[in-house]
Amino acid sequence: MRRLAVALPVAALLAALPAAANPGIDPLTWLERAAASARQSTYAGTVIHMQGERTATSRITHVFFSGSEHEKIESLDGPRREIVRRDDQMQCYFPDAKTIRIDRRVTAKFFPSLVGGPMEAIAENYRLALGNVERVLGQDCQWIHLDPKDALRYAQRLCAEVGSGLLLRAKTLGARQQVLEQYAFTDLRLGREVSRGEVKSTFLSQSKDWRRDVQPPDEPKPGSTGWAVASPPPGFRLVGEMQRLLPNRLQPVTQLVLSDGLATMSVFVEPMSNPARTAEATNEDGALSVFVRPMGEHLVTVLGEVPPAAAQQTGRSVGRQAVVAGAPVR
Amino acid sequence: MTQELSSLMDGELEAREADRAIGICCGNEEMKLKWQAYHLIGEALRREEPRAGFSSTRRIMEAIATEPTVLAPRRRVPASAGRIAFAAAASVATVAVVGWIGLQESGSPSGPALATSAPAARSAVASSVVPLKNVNEYVVVHRQLPNAEFYRPVSDQAAVRR
Repeated sequence: MRRLAVALPVAALLAALPAAANPGIDPLTWLERAAASARQSTYAGTVIHMQGERTATSRITHVFFSGSEHEKIESLDGPRREIVRRDDQMQCYFPDAKTIRIDRRVTAKFFPSLVGGPMEAIAENYRLALGNVERVLGQDCQWIHLDPKDALRYAQRLCAEVGSGLLLRAKTLGARQQVLEQYAFTDLRLGREVSRGEVKSTFLSQSKDWRRDVQPPDEPKPGSTGWAVASPPPGFRLVGEMQRLLPNRLQPVTQLVLSDGLATMSVFVEPMSNPARTAEATNEDGALSVFVRPMGEHLVTVLGEVPPAAAQQTGRSVGRQAVVAGAPVR
Repeated sequence: MTQELSSLMDGELEAREADRAIGICCGNEEMKLKWQAYHLIGEALRREEPRAGFSSTRRIMEAIATEPTVLAPRRRVPASAGRIAFAAAASVATVAVVGWIGLQESGSPSGPALATSAPAARSAVASSVVPLKNVNEYVVVHRQLPNAEFYRPVSDQAAVRR
């Protein structure tokens, strides 16, 4: 009976989470579970991120309480810096510069929270399948395969821990199945092994008098930038639109954010400082593609975790948004 | 034995133990490969170029694949003409662009920052050099990486966000 008394609240808690539902053999359910678990469970561990030829390690601590995500990401390489996030509000601590930058999450993806978009959008653009169950970090881990339905996005391989649904590994594959980018936990603590206090910034007590660099919360309505992507790759929809001031720019830069549910592209449009530029240029680094296109007196730069062709198609269809009777046309 | 090899590599064995480990290593083809693989793994972890001259790449790669926390080295693909080696050529100027996860170092191929006209007949215009620093700034914005360049007085941060 005593055991039951302990088991009941746990069962009730698990039942409250989609993550606890038996995922069965439907890959979409596994994906939903991975997304829910990354948000709503409590975990801490070291993450290795490999992109292109670089590797970086960070320590992530994630606690879910009072209906909010609380997360701390400490970079373990290079200059010390740390992100403390509550849902979409991010505080970035730079101890060397004694500065805290307050920002809002728009395009950032922090492993293991890689699946963010609507599941219907993902299912529309990717073929989903379950792969093998492998032993990862001493746990049974179910591979979920996401293969693109066209050549305008990359394949993903996600490995979800069977018990919690949490992603332990993730890979982005190129057209030849080569690994472009990957994340992996190298150690992980789950649930009660992690205490709430751990998500507090390492610099909390010493940062009282640090400079605070705040992004104003004003939010323009969609369409207000006057720029639009007329024909992005199928499945990519506008999910964000804003003006940004960058350190080295006098004039604001327009940023349009497109997503197919999994991959994200940023389209930047800025007044061109050097009108002599006439050539387009493409590049890629790991899973990241870059496309630069001069357009009259503006310069369009597209960046995203997509094949170069998708960045090019997007960049070439950027134009002034048609306006009818003062209302943006969608 | 595997443990001993590992210890030998780390210089943790006493002289006599080391002799024994070396003896086994050099007398046994499998252990020799393992020894090589461990060095390759070590080099990969230190991000050195893999050493040339390994006899059995496949087996070494298999050995690496079974190592739990190992970073398998990626073969370095030279920047083909028609690509901008953006992270690379960014030179000293971009050192200021401090990456976050995955952008810590610019271990990219060295070479000039060549831009190119886009594929196909879309653009017949001559190639030009892309302002790499600009692209790196955008990488930081896109991935929302904490970046030293963003240290600005609050009054300068009038960016309107959605």
